[in-house]
Amino acid sequence: MAFLSKEASLALVQRVHRLIGMKNGVTPHDAPQRRRQRSAPRPGAERFDVIVVGAGPAGSAAALVAARAGLKVLLLERGEYPGSKNVSGAAFYGSAILHELIPNWWEQAPVERHLTRRVLAFMTAETSVAIDFRTTRFAEPPYNGFSILRPRFDRWFADQAVAAGAFLLNAAVVDEVLWEDDQVVGVRVRRDEGDLRADVVIACDGANSFLAKNAGLQREFHAHEMSLGVKEVLALDEATIRERFHLYDNDGLAIEYIGAITEEVSGGGFLYTNRDSLSLGVIGQISSLAEHRRRPYELLETFKRHPSVAPLVRGGRVREYSAHIIPEAGWNMLPKLYTGGMLVAGDAAALCFVAGLYLEGINYAIQSGIAAGETAVAAHRERDFSARSLARYLERLRARYVLTDFANYRHAPGLVNSPRLQNLYPELIAGAAEQVFRVNGGPKRKLLPIALDTLRRANISPIHMLQDAWQAGRSFGW
Amino acid sequence: MRIAVCLKQVPDPTTVEVDPLTAALDARRLLYIAGPADTAALEVALQLAGAEGHVSALCVGPPAADAVLRQALAAGAAEARRLWAPFLPLQSPAQTALLLAAALQRGETPDLVLCGARSSDHGSGQVPALLAEFLDWPVVCDVTQITVEGGLARVQRRLDRGAREELEVPLPAALAVEAGIARLRHASLTGLMRAERAAIPVSELDDLGLEPADLAFPAPTARMVTPPRPRTRPIFTPDSTRPAHERITQIITAGVTRKSGKVLEGPPEQMADVLVEFLRERGFV
Ligand SMILES: Cc1cc2nc3c(=O)[nH]c(=O)nc-3n(C[C@H](O)[C@H](O)[C@H](O)COP(=O)(O)OP(=O)(O)OC[C@H]3O[C@@H](n4cnc5c(N)ncnc54)[C@H](O)[C@@H]3O)c2cc1C
Repeated sequence: MAFLSKEASLALVQRVHRLIGMKNGVTPHDAPQRRRQRSAPRPGAERFDVIVVGAGPAGSAAALVAARAGLKVLLLERGEYPGSKNVSGAAFYGSAILHELIPNWWEQAPVERHLTRRVLAFMTAETSVAIDFRTTRFAEPPYNGFSILRPRFDRWFADQAVAAGAFLLNAAVVDEVLWEDDQVVGVRVRRDEGDLRADVVIACDGANSFLAKNAGLQREFHAHEMSLGVKEVLALDEATIRERFHLYDNDGLAIEYIGAITEEVSGGGFLYTNRDSLSLGVIGQISSLAEHRRRPYELLETFKRHPSVAPLVRGGRVREYSAHIIPEAGWNMLPKLYTGGMLVAGDAAALCFVAGLYLEGINYAIQSGIAAGETAVAAHRERDFSARSLARYLERLRARYVLTDFANYRHAPGLVNSPRLQNLYPELIAGAAEQVFRVNGGPKRKLLPIALDTLRRANISPIHMLQDAWQAGRSFGW
Repeated sequence: MRIAVCLKQVPDPTTVEVDPLTAALDARRLLYIAGPADTAALEVALQLAGAEGHVSALCVGPPAADAVLRQALAAGAAEARRLWAPFLPLQSPAQTALLLAAALQRGETPDLVLCGARSSDHGSGQVPALLAEFLDWPVVCDVTQITVEGGLARVQRRLDRGAREELEVPLPAALAVEAGIARLRHASLTGLMRAERAAIPVSELDDLGLEPADLAFPAPTARMVTPPRPRTRPIFTPDSTRPAHERITQIITAGVTRKSGKVLEGPPEQMADVLVEFLRERGFV
């Protein structure tokens, strides 16, 4: 971005903005009929420079950046404490990003294990074929990723924002944004005397953001664009985890599962090792859960009984269970990311990257939170909080590769959720592998005949295969 | 009216996790809140005090207990104070009660002290009574209703099996309020923000005019108690000399005769005689 002139970059920003607006079909100006009654703040409401709604990774990052710049920042969280409402175990791949913000953050933060081993497993009901990647290079600072437990991590991260000077208020649910003319000027908290004023409101209220919709920046989602994740944390002692997953000391493992674990429902599964527990769960597309009338926890149980998962979770004692929605359709469901006086970041902006081998939301939440915080700081420097001024947010998101990643991978969600990728290909891979390894007294066949035979029996047209290969290339390859 | 409310920080039950091997609590995961009886006491205090009254909150606990006091400030308490002896292991209800009593004797004496009837962690229910003892005030425990008129509190107390007792107590008095008789109000945003910003004063032993030796109550002794085996009961066999229909009735009723009490009436001396005779007959005296 640095090599573009200011005019050129603004023009680009406007183009991106138009593109997003167009894709969503709804902008505040297009849809006055859907706009709610807009209320103005009551007189006497307390004023802040920035109000951040939601103390998840996005919100804490935004509050931290703004508070460090000396702004008067209020961070509002609906839970009893940050993280109390968050789905617990996760793999966090934003270590280097956080390192920029808080050098050597892993030395003080509650991390579980650094992930040095990643597995991508293709499953059928009885078989699994896996790619197992392992490197000691991920065991060196700044590390590639960590397993974390969200209630503890989120609380720590919010505390960093507080240490930088942000004022954190828990048990405060934001019910609506407040307007003066076409400018957002504050929020209303669900309590008596609940109005608060701010020059910039940053909505970081997570998936299916109420605030972005309330401000008319986001349309209603379709069921195929959202997934439901159900997750469990299973307590298991440290020594068993090390032995069972072949790990040294604090090394950790993340497994992503594709294929039969979610049966006919589009989705996937995952398993991460924590220090003395496992986080595992399944993710199912909401539309296909409904279509196949499956309950998410049934899928979780099926997943845990799968012959290649059962021995891994044996003896684990359920410590937590939770469910949460995930915005899945990526680029196609990004809201308008700003309006006068307001920015949207993290899951609230649907900046969650879900595509087969990737399930990354926290790192994008932090990236976009930083970008939003910086945008608010710059707006304060110029005392200009108009939509025009806040449009720079998009530049910052591009500079941090957030928007570029989502644009590049815009085809991935559709591909990953297609029935052939969900069920047929894992089946083919597993079937072929089985033939390669099976010894049954017959002639030993070479690989090519096995491959051709597998394809013939799968009854899939070469056209579809080519289409999928092209889709896969377009989604992940180039 | 001035009311003091004593609050205790207890673990939030949703954060309690027990290690199955060692049976130890995972302390890192615990979060502290005020228990349901304490929040009921706080709400009753705020209601009784009304707009003119003054409610102050007290809590014996480490710095983390400030959260409980902030909750009281947010709901409308005018003042909060934390009591603590940093280097002493404060464990017994007597120590807690002594610190509270010392704090209540300094400054303006309240008309009423409200406590929760029992905490949701240890739940000994002793602090209110001990506190009243140290203050030399009357105390009523298990209170389900309070009205105050003049210098008198009219209270309702819970007895066994759903019975209630009405009492009148002269003020100042200590009352231990049952959980569930009032639900703590939802704090306003202004209240919440003010509470969050308030500095909570701390009184340590020196400030309370106490010495570590004052807190040296005899250590409680704990005994392991195993649940008793149920008493063996002889199986009833009907008297074989009786006619058949009587034996059948005996079997059906299993020989059980209903327990029945006897209510004595008459002049006290006469009733006492009957009672003594009754006990002698059965070999108790
Ligand atoms: C099952 C599952 C597994 C996942 N696994 C991973 C993983 O392994 N790695 C990864 O990187 N990502 C993972 N994700 C995605 C990741 O959780 C999200 O992308 C990330 O949490 C987004 O951060 P955020 O700050 O935008 O939102 P959130 O973390 O959702 O935080 C939003 C906060 O806002 C608060 N809030 C909401 N509404 C209001 C309101 N009205 N008023 C006040 N406060 C409000 C909430 O209480 C919450 O604290 C997973 C998601 C799920 C569901």
